[in-house]
Amino acid sequence: MVRTLLFLALLALASAGWAESPITLGASVQLTGPVANTGRYYKDAYEFAIDRINAAGGVKIGGTSRKLALKLLDNQSDVNLSVRQYVQLLSEDKVDLLLGPFASNFVLADSAISEKYQVPMVQGGGASDQIYSRGYHYIFGTLPPASNYFGTTIEALSKLSPKPAKVALLYADDAFDVAVAKGAREQLAHAGFNTAIDERYTSNTSDFTSLLSRIKSSNTEVVLVAGHETEALNFIRQAKSLGVSPKLYSFTVGVPSADFRQALGSDANYAAGMTAWLPHKSLKDHWFGDAEQFAKAYQAKYGYEPDYHAASGVATVEAMVKAIEAANSVDPRKVRDALAHVNFSSAYGQVAFGPTGQISLPQTMIQVQNGKVVAIYGPSGALGKLQYPMPAWGKR
Amino acid sequence: MLLAQVLLNGLLLGGLYALMALGLALVWGVLNIVNLSHGAFIMLGAYATYFLFAKAHLDPFLALPFAALALFMLGYAVQRGILNLVIRGPMFNTLLITFGLEVVITFLAQFFFSADFRTINPGYAGTNFDVGGLTIPRIQLMAFAIAIGLTLGLWAFLLHSRPGRSIRAVSQNLLAAQLYGIEPRRIYAITFGLGTAMAGVAGGLYGTVSQINPYIGTALTAKSFVIAIIGGLDNPLGVIVGGLFLGLAESLTALYIGPTYTDVASFGILVLVLIVKPTGLLGRTA
Repeated sequence: MVRTLLFLALLALASAGWAESPITLGASVQLTGPVANTGRYYKDAYEFAIDRINAAGGVKIGGTSRKLALKLLDNQSDVNLSVRQYVQLLSEDKVDLLLGPFASNFVLADSAISEKYQVPMVQGGGASDQIYSRGYHYIFGTLPPASNYFGTTIEALSKLSPKPAKVALLYADDAFDVAVAKGAREQLAHAGFNTAIDERYTSNTSDFTSLLSRIKSSNTEVVLVAGHETEALNFIRQAKSLGVSPKLYSFTVGVPSADFRQALGSDANYAAGMTAWLPHKSLKDHWFGDAEQFAKAYQAKYGYEPDYHAASGVATVEAMVKAIEAANSVDPRKVRDALAHVNFSSAYGQVAFGPTGQISLPQTMIQVQNGKVVAIYGPSGALGKLQYPMPAWGKR
Repeated sequence: MLLAQVLLNGLLLGGLYALMALGLALVWGVLNIVNLSHGAFIMLGAYATYFLFAKAHLDPFLALPFAALALFMLGYAVQRGILNLVIRGPMFNTLLITFGLEVVITFLAQFFFSADFRTINPGYAGTNFDVGGLTIPRIQLMAFAIAIGLTLGLWAFLLHSRPGRSIRAVSQNLLAAQLYGIEPRRIYAITFGLGTAMAGVAGGLYGTVSQINPYIGTALTAKSFVIAIIGGLDNPLGVIVGGLFLGLAESLTALYIGPTYTDVASFGILVLVLIVKPTGLLGRTA
């Protein structure tokens, strides 16, 4: 009798285990190729978030808990390959829902697949306004609009006295940076700045000497660069070797990441930038406690400080889980509708998507001071003291 | 003044370009192999110099000979073990094999070195001095001097030394060279080794002025290719001319037309040279 009961109980347990197969999230990210340096942040973030959520019991649907699983492919930093891989994820691997790749140009292409298959993609790697200007319904993003990246920076600049007389705006010719420049150009004009140099340059160029010589000879005081991390590194190194020191320079990417400061050493000092995320205690999270604890746990596991890419990646997974639980289903269309209404606090910030699918978060202006990232100016005003003007290279 | 500074920037850049292209042009001219993995060898040279600098605390300029030696041995082995197998095959085969090599080397580099960005950043990196209102970056000037010195050295080596003459003999008339007792396989391996050694030095210098990651190679191969075509394959001086020409053209394009058009300018020049003087600016034979 006891044996029979035990057997039945085991059978029930086992069948419960089998019935609840994991919910699979599919993504194609840059694990190799030229953008692998940032792409791996998304791999780490997805795995980190999924492990934590599974350890806390997984996702609750209809009273039972289901685990999350990740199907991750390497797109080798190739946009065309990433499009094929998203098709593969949906048509062959039959993943339930999608997470995004890194970078606007990838999201632009890949979101066409999620739209076509009507499976929602929550992505934390593309910020270009272009992604959300096409009326797509199945793309959601946790990076704030590119057009406002320099918003707080320009606000902080307009509070300086004397106000910088000449500003240079330099940007790479890709979807993200063109959108950043378009927004910054309008904001600069609105704030009454004289944009003396407004130049687009080839993505992945390694030579900025002509631009730098122009900046020097025209006495441009503030330089805003929308580009990639390699370009920021080359720009700063060449500025030093040509003795070009404007009063301030600011870069859209690189500045918040540990890798950037490591590559430049003390030459990274005074570089300004922005981040939508700083690991602050006030950002409460259901799974991680708060952003500070999240950052500590992340660093302990992966050996580097998380920057906003990683936090944004984690937020995409959390948003997906919240939406599945709200929809009480993994049906892609129901999850899509639930995503449009999620609103929760996370280690990354308050996550809620606007009508186009994009989050709205303010950027905080930051500056590297003595090898540390310091918050300078946020939406509510000054947070720290900007080191301005930047001293000449010979006087550091 | 701005123009003078931009011209100077272009010249200094061109010197480094010339050194990058030197190895590619040498191997192409002598072995008739367009080495698509050339940029990958530049990348390896950059990492070799970086690790000697960062781990062994060697001055990057003192590390260059070691990087060159390591790359020479690697190049010699690659030619002996792999490329000699297909050297008599159609050009398509050598293109395929060197392309494959590039993929493998790049993958291994990411596997072992990670995709982190590195810079070779000694204390004096980025220092400069002023001459008559022009800012002259010290490291770029040293890189320029080494590039020009090595190119002239290679020219003298090919013209006047015994192995240099053997290399030219093999490239000009293989049968006659063999009749005189030259072993072509060894000469090929030495030539390829010299080419990769030059790439190694170029990589080390590139790391002192730019940044290093496993993927810098492809763009550098393309650049070297353009320079080799512009300058011609006949003698190393052509590569200097090609490099300086490209450096100046890019700098002036960035100044006057816009920095987004530098690639259009360099490949436009390539097409023009191919139409007007297909043997290169200093070349005599096709």
